[in-house]
Amino acid sequence: MRSPISWRPPATWHFFRSDDRLLLIVAGAIVGICSGVAAVALNQSLIAVLGYLRPYRAYWWAFVLPAVGAALSSLFLNKIMREGAGHGVPEVIYSVSRYGGLMRFRSSFSRLISSCLTIGSGGSAGPEAPIVMSGSAIGSNIARLLGLNDRQRVTLVGCGAAGAISAIFNAPIAGLIFAMEIILGEWAASNLIPIAIAAVAGTEISHLLQGKQIPFSHHHFNIGAVDIVACIGLAVFTALASIMLTRAIRTIHHQADGIQLPGWLKAAGGGCAVGLIGLYLPMVLGEGYHAIREMMEGRFAPGIGLVFLAVLAKIMATALTLGSGGSGGIFAPCLVIGSFAGLTYHRALAYLWPGVDWVQEGCFVLLGMAGLVSGILQAPLTGIFLIVEITGGYEVILPLIIVSAISTTICHYMEPASFYLKDLVEKGQLMRPGTDARVLADLEVHELLETDCITVHTDMLLRDFVDIVKQSRRNLFPVEDHTGQFQGMIYMDDIRPYLFDPLMYDTVLVGQLMNSHVKTVSPDDDVVEVLERMDAEGLFNMPVVANHRFRGMISKSTLLDQYRKELMVQTYHLNR
Amino acid sequence: MYSQLFHIFRNTPLGRETFLQSLYFCNQIDTTPIVYIPEFIKFLMYFDNDVVQVDLDDSYLTDPATAEDHARVLLESANLKPNFFAPKNFTASTLPDIPTNFEFMCCPRSISDLSSKIGLGYIGPRVRRIVTSARFPVLITSAVYKPWTRLVVFFGGSANALNALKLGMRIARQTGMPLEIFTQAENRSREDYAAIIRDYYVEDELERLQQRWIFFDEGKFETNLYAVPHDALVILGAYGHGLIRNLVFGSKMENIQSTIPNNLLIVGPNYTAGI
Repeated sequence: MRSPISWRPPATWHFFRSDDRLLLIVAGAIVGICSGVAAVALNQSLIAVLGYLRPYRAYWWAFVLPAVGAALSSLFLNKIMREGAGHGVPEVIYSVSRYGGLMRFRSSFSRLISSCLTIGSGGSAGPEAPIVMSGSAIGSNIARLLGLNDRQRVTLVGCGAAGAISAIFNAPIAGLIFAMEIILGEWAASNLIPIAIAAVAGTEISHLLQGKQIPFSHHHFNIGAVDIVACIGLAVFTALASIMLTRAIRTIHHQADGIQLPGWLKAAGGGCAVGLIGLYLPMVLGEGYHAIREMMEGRFAPGIGLVFLAVLAKIMATALTLGSGGSGGIFAPCLVIGSFAGLTYHRALAYLWPGVDWVQEGCFVLLGMAGLVSGILQAPLTGIFLIVEITGGYEVILPLIIVSAISTTICHYMEPASFYLKDLVEKGQLMRPGTDARVLADLEVHELLETDCITVHTDMLLRDFVDIVKQSRRNLFPVEDHTGQFQGMIYMDDIRPYLFDPLMYDTVLVGQLMNSHVKTVSPDDDVVEVLERMDAEGLFNMPVVANHRFRGMISKSTLLDQYRKELMVQTYHLNR
Repeated sequence: MYSQLFHIFRNTPLGRETFLQSLYFCNQIDTTPIVYIPEFIKFLMYFDNDVVQVDLDDSYLTDPATAEDHARVLLESANLKPNFFAPKNFTASTLPDIPTNFEFMCCPRSISDLSSKIGLGYIGPRVRRIVTSARFPVLITSAVYKPWTRLVVFFGGSANALNALKLGMRIARQTGMPLEIFTQAENRSREDYAAIIRDYYVEDELERLQQRWIFFDEGKFETNLYAVPHDALVILGAYGHGLIRNLVFGSKMENIQSTIPNNLLIVGPNYTAGI
């Protein structure tokens, strides 16, 4: 029985076939709105949970709150949603890099709830990575619904990330740049417009539902030449803090992996430790934006020693929260650590050179945030534009560029991959479109098979073989026995002397001439491994054998042909 | 043609039956079994336009120390080379990615529920999504190992049924087993169905292979299913309708599998069959 109305995905509509830009713009706007709504929902939920728990923080037992939140978050993710825990953004990048942005539907809401539990209870993490994951999953699933292809789906994943960041920070340019610089890793014109539209849609939804508020109020700073020179030192300081944070999270994560306890118990342990730190330094709990506001306004009372201690404590609290299995992102902790670092640096300068007319400490707080975000993400543009937008501080763009650029460079020197990419790079799973690794990963041995070889048998006389040579266009022949099992190869170059000696024709068998020590390839082998083997052995082609049966040949020339075709497919949109 | 069947090994007596059925299938159609012994109870399968998370029940992790040995013994007894699959890519540390470029995949009727719950009458949602998204046919085995000696293709005239028919013809040619076509007429005559086959140029090939056409133009579908031989591999197409349509109109695939205990080879909407 036929359905009265048959659904055809819009991607197959005639109107969109010739040019998909309009489709992507419309879909990008929808994705931006949806991810904006998700971001607002998370933000409002966080405000509600934090407000609900505030009276309880005064009690001595309040240190267990982050433990309970982290444990519930871990249980929710692993037992109810059955998701492999992670920080979120690396999973999005992995999906874009390997699977054309395919993401599970459950990812569009699971992290919202788990991060709300972790952060709302006092865990040191930010809501940005979870919301990026949710937005990206929304984009991916809308793309699936619309029947879009891999390239279009990746664009919508970028739209989701941009819409989410734009909505949560009220920063459309930062959202756009974050999506292009970190999630997609390429600046294709075809992606730019839909992502920009999504970023605007996300911001507008945030305005509509929460009002036009920026996280930190704007302040005017009188920056002098001496302040700009001092920025270099701040960049070094924030770079060191970035590296310390990256390494602390990874160390605790690896240590926690080695402990034979249930995930929720490990998360509870980490949360408990954070709660204990929070008893003495409450500013390290939660996302910590309140402390940043006080620092920017110059109202943060603790002295330089305590602020420096707060830098270390926040790094430790974040590492414990995220490394032990709590759910959340590193954006907000980076902003807090960066602001503490900036304040420490400013107060150290003022202490060492009290006669110099330094700019207000709020300016260095702002620069510290940019330095830390740029350093840990190794994405200077994201760092610069995020800080400019969330603080409204356009007049500090010059020192911002200096701090971000230097911090990124130092971090890149000491940690070649950013926090988000480090695991992927170590596992060889970061494959940006159009790169050698990605092109080779998308090719499979069976796609490269040359099946025009004529197979000969071991008991065939040389005379019969010569007749076959006359018909063949190839200069190599796979040899099988009477059961069809692969025995070896005959290469024309090896047997040329026999071919011109008719006396041999009725006395020599193919089995005597063949090379039985041929290196073979399996259809399941990775093309990268096959290529490495060819290079190591100095071979131009290799036989593909499965279950002892010859399946075809693989050669570098066919590989090059397919490589070019794949590269053209992957970079088509860059040339549009 | 080199082809592979992907099998998720369950180290339990029920899992052994499923595995034996897979091995029998592989031997009949000269396919290589690729055996996955799971280390985690969940994995992801990335298809062209969907990603399916499969949550296995705990029985798949039963006694991992003996799992490979048990599988190896069964493979060797079937004269098949042991090929064990180890995931290379992980979406998360406990979430491996399973490739989807196999030619066949074997599933129990439900991949996510405890074996004790599995019976006729229910195909799990994960198996449905795999069938809907995969480019390969899915072998859904009977509860107990039972060799099949003939093939039955369910042909209702749709594009998927035609794909199922082509696959059935291919297997019939490879195995030399008799092929039977089962059709329950739905407002069409036998000639109409024959015309569909003629239109797709498979008539001549079919005439060479076909033993009989089990055609019903009256009677209830469920009642007529009694005519399906007990020792047949049943090949059928699954359209992959949405949940609502299936709830309202019912699913033919569900109807068939809940009535007959045979091994089923289900062809999804993304499978492209060659004769």
